[in-house]
Amino acid sequence: MDVLLNDDETLIVDSAREFLTGECPVKLVRAMEADALGYSKELWAKVAELGWQGMCMPEKVGGSNMPLVYLGLVLREAGRALAPLPLHCTAVASLAIARDGSEAQQEKYLPDVVAGKSVMTWAFTESDPRFIPEAVQMSAKAQGDNFVLDGVKLFVDNFPGADHCVVVARTTAGSKGAQGLTLFIVDAKSQGLSQVPLITLAKDKQSEVTFKGVIVPKANVIGSVGEAWPIVERMLDRGTALLCAQMVGAARKDIEMAIEYAKFRTAFGQPIGSFQSVQHTCADMQIWVDGGEMLTFEALWKIDQGLPASVEVSQAKAFCNEKCEAAVRNSQSIHGGIGFMMEFDLQLWFRRVSAWTMRMGTSFEHRARIAHALIDIPGEVTLGRPLPTA
Amino acid sequence: MDFAYTAEQEALRREVRQFIKDNVTPEVADETNPETASERPRGTGPAAAALYKRIYERGWLGITYPKAYGGQGGDRLTQYIVEEEFTRAGINITLGGSGAPAIMAAGTEEQKQFYIPRLIKREVSFCLGFTEPHAGADLANLRCSAVRDGDDYVINGQKMYTSAAHMSTHIYLMARTDRNAAKHDGISIFLFPMDTPGITVRPLWTIQNNPTAPAGTTYGNSRTNETFFDDVRIHKSCLLGEENKGWRVGSMGLNLDRVGAARYLISVRRDEDIVNWVKRNKFDGFAPGQNPAIRDKIAEMWIEAQVCRLMTMRSMSIVERGGKFTYEGSAEKVWAPEHGVRISEAITQMLGPYGSLLRTSPHAIEDGVFAHNVMGSFQSGINHGSVQVMRDQVARRGLELPSSRRPKKVEAK
Repeated sequence: MDVLLNDDETLIVDSAREFLTGECPVKLVRAMEADALGYSKELWAKVAELGWQGMCMPEKVGGSNMPLVYLGLVLREAGRALAPLPLHCTAVASLAIARDGSEAQQEKYLPDVVAGKSVMTWAFTESDPRFIPEAVQMSAKAQGDNFVLDGVKLFVDNFPGADHCVVVARTTAGSKGAQGLTLFIVDAKSQGLSQVPLITLAKDKQSEVTFKGVIVPKANVIGSVGEAWPIVERMLDRGTALLCAQMVGAARKDIEMAIEYAKFRTAFGQPIGSFQSVQHTCADMQIWVDGGEMLTFEALWKIDQGLPASVEVSQAKAFCNEKCEAAVRNSQSIHGGIGFMMEFDLQLWFRRVSAWTMRMGTSFEHRARIAHALIDIPGEVTLGRPLPTA
Repeated sequence: MDFAYTAEQEALRREVRQFIKDNVTPEVADETNPETASERPRGTGPAAAALYKRIYERGWLGITYPKAYGGQGGDRLTQYIVEEEFTRAGINITLGGSGAPAIMAAGTEEQKQFYIPRLIKREVSFCLGFTEPHAGADLANLRCSAVRDGDDYVINGQKMYTSAAHMSTHIYLMARTDRNAAKHDGISIFLFPMDTPGITVRPLWTIQNNPTAPAGTTYGNSRTNETFFDDVRIHKSCLLGEENKGWRVGSMGLNLDRVGAARYLISVRRDEDIVNWVKRNKFDGFAPGQNPAIRDKIAEMWIEAQVCRLMTMRSMSIVERGGKFTYEGSAEKVWAPEHGVRISEAITQMLGPYGSLLRTSPHAIEDGVFAHNVMGSFQSGINHGSVQVMRDQVARRGLELPSSRRPKKVEAK
């Protein structure tokens, strides 16, 4: 038990921060908001040289097979810098292939990911925004050596820049819930795919993607046909925890800006940071972001250990959703009017943290998952010990 | 990062649990319960004394203290694990507050040799004499005086909320030794026996009295005290640390007293209790555990309790690495007590009027612990540094925000 960073972890954080401080100025963040692709290809190539895309990839595809915690630390730094990179969505999709895909799939898709030559994304959500199997309606019908996918996916991250998209669809017509779901690797340039950009609070690239008779070879099924739910659940848990890491990184930077501002902005003849109402607000913001960060890294660490981590992931996301949002909102409040101005940088962090709180599961959904584990599974619960399992 | 206990630590936990199962008899529980044991020194009933002797023999008292002083020279996490299990069983194995850490930090060799082994064996116990009627959060405003007279000091004054005064052998007292010095500079710390002539202890009854609270209630103590000192003469060797340097000594002890298993558990026990209660119970056809709003609130509180746990682990990690807190201990002392209040109040709205029933009442739930906790939980946000003072410390020490200027005195018209 030692919840602080060890030497290796500190090195990862320091080098990532140093790199992004030099290579990812706010100017680039702003420019990419207006860019059609939404990310910098140059920066993507540079982080591939640092090995970020391959961090948790197997060694046989050129990756460095590091723990997810390390990638979490990198995403925390990427969040801190608001790095305009399709890092999170690529990680979610490529990790699904690395952990649950076949040898052939790994060899086919992952070396390009590691080399920074491929961007990946994933598509789960349709019209029902919940992260439950019932929300998946997209149909995938078997046809010879292929499946044919029809339906509409929403909130697909970085689709315009993606080479491949990992897609959840229903292969058993009329099936409900977790039964009959299958996970596919889809070439994002396939015939029958079209996308409409959504205009988001974060001004990031999210799309409505329509599948009209999209043909996907059977060889592109991850795992077994009709049995994808456990794979998908693991993919979503990893993605949610990694998103939390990104969120706490951005929220930390955001509150640091407010704390610095409070030290030099004067009112009534003294720095506003000397007023207790401001001090206590800052203290709470620090406590909230610390809490979110510890919950997040405990979740990632448990995933690394192969321990049950769904409850930990949900703890992190529900807490980060509410507390990171409250922290960045308070930063706005401490800044007063200037924080509301487009030309002032604080808003870049505020809008992203806000948007991320709404992605990959609301507080209500995650708390419902926790409540189920706490209340519906028989057996005494004890804080700090594993929960009873069904 | 490492969020797990080692196999060795897990084995220790099992060992402690088994020991508790075998040794904590109803007689022990009765004798160690501060309610039933309120009129005699803590843990001196025959059954409890025998239990503490066995715990001592197992090497589970004073784990983090050096072997030279009767401790085990063990690490903080071992202490945490053992303390967590005993606290859950209602047995206090801590050395009772800030006295021992302060002696280790500032005591003479003689003081360490005398007090630490005796504190570990529970032959000596301290009550805390810090707060006064005019000095609470602003502790340095204290007036209780210690005046040097030859080889002695003569103490006069009053201390408030000396909770264990009626069952402690000694007092750990903060007094003013220089009236002309700046507020924080004229303060000293003294350790002396409670049977010294001139000490009067008067009970103050808390809102947990009549009926008294069930074991495990957050601040369930029915009694605290006010203590008066009338020309109490003590030898100069009772001084801890240097004369007039007592402020720093006192704060060192307090900082270390704010972390640990006992501190953590007083804020989170009800989270566990309510989950286990709704799993097993309902009111006729109404199962609170199946109500979506209640489930949402229970999960929200559970997450907050995890943050309490992680903050405690962070403090452990910092201490284990030999580091010092800048703000982490204070942050924990904001988050955990306020969480304790939130869960207590949330439970009242899950149980409705049943949540108001105290121990011994017909229909009381879980011996009335939830109702008693409403009265006790906020108390942990007040003592040993209020949450407001703790937020000041997070802001100023942790975030380096500037001190507020003292307001100018308003001239009387």
